Amino acid sequence: MSAYNSLTYNASLCVGCTECMKACALAKTGDATNLDQSRIKIVPAQEPEKFEAAICRQCGDAKCVMNCPSGALTKNGANGVIDWNADTCVNCLLCTVGCVYGGITYEASVGHVAKCDTCGGDPACVKVCKSGALGYVTTASIYNDYGDKEDMFVPGLAACQGCNSELMIRHVMRKLGRNVVVAAPPGCIPGMGTVGYNGKAGAKIPIFHPLLTNTASMLSGIKRTFERQGRDVTALALAGDGGTSDVGFQSLSGAAERGERILFICFDNEGYMNTGMQASGATSFGSWTSTTPVGDKLHGKSTDAKNLPMVMMMHNAAYVATASSVFMEDFYQKLDKAVEASKHGFAYLHLYAPCPSGWRFPAGLTIDICRLMVESNFVTLWDYTPGGGLEFTHPVDTPKPLDSYLKAIGKYRHLANEQVDRIKKLLEDRLSMLKRFQKA
Amino acid sequence: MQSCTHLIVGASHAGLTALSAIRMNEPDAAIVMATREDHLPYSPTVLPYVVSGRSDPAKVTLRSESFFDENKVSYLRKATLLALDTGANTAHFPDGRSIRYEKLLLATGASPNIPPIPGLKDVPFHVLRTMDDALGLKKAMVKGKRALVLGAGLIGTHAAENMAEAGMKVTIVEARGQVLPGYFDHQASGIIETAFKAHGIELVFGRAVKEIKSGQALLENGDAIPFDLLLVATGVRPDLSYLQGSGVKSDGGILVDELQRTNISNVWAAGDCARARLFQSEATGIAGILPIAVEQGRIVGQAMTDDAGVRNFPGSVSLNTYTFFGQQAISVGAGEAPESETSLCVDEDRNTYLKIVIKDGRLMGAAAVNQALDPGILWQLVLRRTDLSEVREAFLADPKTISRMLMSRIWR
Amino acid sequence: MTALAKHKKMIVVDGNEAAARGVALARPDVVAVYPITPQSSLVEALSAMIAGGELDAELMNVEGEHSVLSALQGAALAGARTYTATSGPGLAFMFEPYIRQPGMRLPMVMSLVTRDTLTPQCVWGGHQDAMLVREVGWIHMYCETVQEILDTVIMGYKVAEHPEIMLPVNVNHDGNYLSYGVTSCELPDQALVDDFLGPKSVNWHVALDPERPMGVDPLVGNAGGVGPSMFVRYRKGQTEAMAHSLEVISEVHADWAKRTGRHHAPLIEEYRLDDAELALVTLGSMTGAAKDCCDMLRDSGRKVGIIKVKTFRPFPALAMRNALSKVKAVGVVDRSVSYGWNSGPVYQDTLTVIGKFGLKLPAIPFIAGLAGADITVAHFERAFDLVAKGEAPPGPVWLNEKD
Repeated sequence: MSAYNSLTYNASLCVGCTECMKACALAKTGDATNLDQSRIKIVPAQEPEKFEAAICRQCGDAKCVMNCPSGALTKNGANGVIDWNADTCVNCLLCTVGCVYGGITYEASVGHVAKCDTCGGDPACVKVCKSGALGYVTTASIYNDYGDKEDMFVPGLAACQGCNSELMIRHVMRKLGRNVVVAAPPGCIPGMGTVGYNGKAGAKIPIFHPLLTNTASMLSGIKRTFERQGRDVTALALAGDGGTSDVGFQSLSGAAERGERILFICFDNEGYMNTGMQASGATSFGSWTSTTPVGDKLHGKSTDAKNLPMVMMMHNAAYVATASSVFMEDFYQKLDKAVEASKHGFAYLHLYAPCPSGWRFPAGLTIDICRLMVESNFVTLWDYTPGGGLEFTHPVDTPKPLDSYLKAIGKYRHLANEQVDRIKKLLEDRLSMLKRFQKA
Repeated sequence: MQSCTHLIVGASHAGLTALSAIRMNEPDAAIVMATREDHLPYSPTVLPYVVSGRSDPAKVTLRSESFFDENKVSYLRKATLLALDTGANTAHFPDGRSIRYEKLLLATGASPNIPPIPGLKDVPFHVLRTMDDALGLKKAMVKGKRALVLGAGLIGTHAAENMAEAGMKVTIVEARGQVLPGYFDHQASGIIETAFKAHGIELVFGRAVKEIKSGQALLENGDAIPFDLLLVATGVRPDLSYLQGSGVKSDGGILVDELQRTNISNVWAAGDCARARLFQSEATGIAGILPIAVEQGRIVGQAMTDDAGVRNFPGSVSLNTYTFFGQQAISVGAGEAPESETSLCVDEDRNTYLKIVIKDGRLMGAAAVNQALDPGILWQLVLRRTDLSEVREAFLADPKTISRMLMSRIWR
Repeated sequence: MTALAKHKKMIVVDGNEAAARGVALARPDVVAVYPITPQSSLVEALSAMIAGGELDAELMNVEGEHSVLSALQGAALAGARTYTATSGPGLAFMFEPYIRQPGMRLPMVMSLVTRDTLTPQCVWGGHQDAMLVREVGWIHMYCETVQEILDTVIMGYKVAEHPEIMLPVNVNHDGNYLSYGVTSCELPDQALVDDFLGPKSVNWHVALDPERPMGVDPLVGNAGGVGPSMFVRYRKGQTEAMAHSLEVISEVHADWAKRTGRHHAPLIEEYRLDDAELALVTLGSMTGAAKDCCDMLRDSGRKVGIIKVKTFRPFPALAMRNALSKVKAVGVVDRSVSYGWNSGPVYQDTLTVIGKFGLKLPAIPFIAGLAGADITVAHFERAFDLVAKGEAPPGPVWLNEKD
């Protein structure tokens, strides 16, 4: 089964300008004023200044197709579009009964039904949407490329509900496959039961618990030995931010300095979340944790987070990148680059991994928080190579308000205005510092 | 004896939809699909278009030969179900062929209802339910000859239009007082009848045929209508003779529960042969329409594979679309209901009609002629019993836009 | 010269270089190094051999002892024979991976160039560093001479990688006296060592290798999961291997003697003990001066002998009993302190043997040679005199107290 690119509509962003309808009408009829013939229909919502949309969803299990008695509607296996065939359509309109979205409708002026065909994968409506309400999600190729690859972890890992790290380690290992040795230092990742090998628990690949302190050095020894044996085996760390930035930092720094051929991935959930939400060096300023509690005298973490990816960039590692699970194309590209870089030097990937249990937000919002984190510029997505410099891979020029991010997360609930101001200043300073490393 | 996990009898919409759902859940289960036809699957709904020549018989198949190969489904043609031994889980077909099943879907559809008119058996007449019927009728249409159609239901009116377009002189006799009784009210039917008359079709209402004799139909009032071609289109009903002795209960249609299961635990029924619950009534009935066959087929496919996501059949809602001489008519739900309010909007100049029935702030039904609506959305509003009181006036004024807004807000 | 002697290759080296030469003959795959006094010249010598192509091994210059041993554990899990050396504070920093190595049953040889521990600040020899890790599960062998260092490093691999043992071995030699003491020394032939050690098999039991995927070191223990029994099984197996290693160490020493003509006592060396009435227990390089003292006293007619402990962990209780049962009084000279007992650790183990086997003899505790202090013939003579009196003082006798 394949996944497909798809058109998306975010009602909260729509301003009702109808530019999309004009663009569609123009593309489909040659007349931009013929709004009745637009295949996307923007309609006023009940609330003033709000809008709703009717558009073909190119359903996987399309009722219009099932209802078609003449075989005129078919799901295109290559691009996922529901194709309409004028030659075989008998105008019975049963498709319009099947569609609960108003996605295929009878167009009196042309005398037959009409529906969105995504303009062959380059939808005219999306191109003219200035509000960002319409999108064309092109990540389907990731699913198509990796969906059939084997999940290297067994089902039923005991991660918390909404855990971003579990999601991402499965993605990573699908891509990396079996020719790998995985270090999972103490933390959430082994805590969810990845270190095991009996078909029911753990992984399907060689995996081990290093110490919290020595992930990078154990992998160094493994990798050197395989190199000596003439074997190309990927040495991979799936580590938390505590083991990376605190006690594990010396071995990490040493391995990076030596240019060990390791791929080190840090899942940054800003603390020791596996053991009761204690603060780590990566915990952000102001955060409530169980060791930076909030009371009359203390108001959450009093220091800024150690910015590990920047520190690793200063090690001149072969590849350094930050990534988020909401931008999977970006992540996969970086993973590709990191794997490649790890064949000749130290590669470091820093994955932002919001933690519903430790940060206090509903488990269902993990991906939303991931997105907001990037879109508010709380974190920045970039990558770095020694020759190429730093490149922002998802620049956010008009960030969402920082408050919307901080307010969505319980660990910041207590923040005073001065603390918020300090975070704002920190983020500005960090961004301008990163920009100084940007490639010309 | 051939045996399989899933035996599906019938290869139209209900059976095909069930097949897809089964395959989705069980990639390797042995599936046999048996059909009385000697064709690849097609929809009876498309037959009038085969008759008119709009559809190429070779291009209306719903599934190709390779579909069955790729999905590892054994597709048996000319396999009319003769008898069922539910004790031995065995279905019997012609030529001594028997198939043992673990689970069985009866989606055997319906056959034309032939009224007991004296003399009818003694003359050649056409029906329109199978591809062979359609090809036979198409061949029999000769320009300038006289055609008589008994019944003004969907098949009768469609075929009459086809024959008129083919240059025949067409008369329709309908015992009730309008075309498409039960689908559209008298007023909406009036618009349709006007179009028929404008195309030279003679409509005879309220008269039953008493006898067929010497190339004429004799009506109750003594009128005689001569014909060269006779089409009987007085409805369909399921042929359930194969149920005899099977223990499967039926009452004009096969009785099923909310997951389309019969009284025999490993036998299901869907589509035009099943008597299922109705959404807007306490009674049960045979829906006899394509979208409902699809709904039921999917439920059965899920139920047969113990899919935890299966949901009860909510009950049939009347759903019709009808196109005639380039015009369109649709109806969703009830055309009338006790203690309801009806909004009617007829524009004779523009030849449009719109009726909306609302009860307790909920949509009961809508019907329209030459008026664009999204019937799929309206169906959902009926099924969801969506409260329209806040948008009532706007909905009555512009049901298309408001129903789209409601869709986008509620189940987007 | 004898025919055998013709093939002997003599070198003049200090203990650190002797260790390095022994290591090179054992052909390790991966050597990880971090320098520390008094070990530095050892890893310098190894680095030079690798740089010069004399030793074909992967040299890892890592950023600290913690990573030294961590890297070597990774290497061993991937199938490598490994080596490193450390001292005092380096061992302390290495402690976290160090305590893990025997539990993973990863064989290796590590030289401990013994050094007293901080504080007070010092950079000189003493056994305190090694004694602090005596209960961790490593095999500890102490060398007396430069030759014994070279030979024991090689034998260490044979013991460590023995399929019934699979444990790490510390070959300890004293900082300063042995690390920098230069003597002539016989260098075994490479072919002899190759034949002696045989093919290596380091990770047949636990590996990180895509060709043999497994989960290494999952959570075990407590009352949940697989239950306490699995943890007990691991610990018990480790204890049994330690106990069994005494036998293997003896076999390996005998094999080595047969091949090289050099006999080193594997567990306990009895020196002029058979008719002795008094004995001193020694450990490491001090034994040389102790033997000189013994010879001198024998010349004057006193019936004294020396009991040298070579294998300290596991403790060779039976061999110690045999030695102690020959004398009427014993003194134990420790180069480290057990604060809990206010005496030395070797003394404590000696008392344990006396008690365990119901021996009746007085045992006098001595502490000497801390932080590189000399233990001379005169110190040993004084010790013998005190043992002869047969009275155990309330605390240890600090032999260097007035030096």
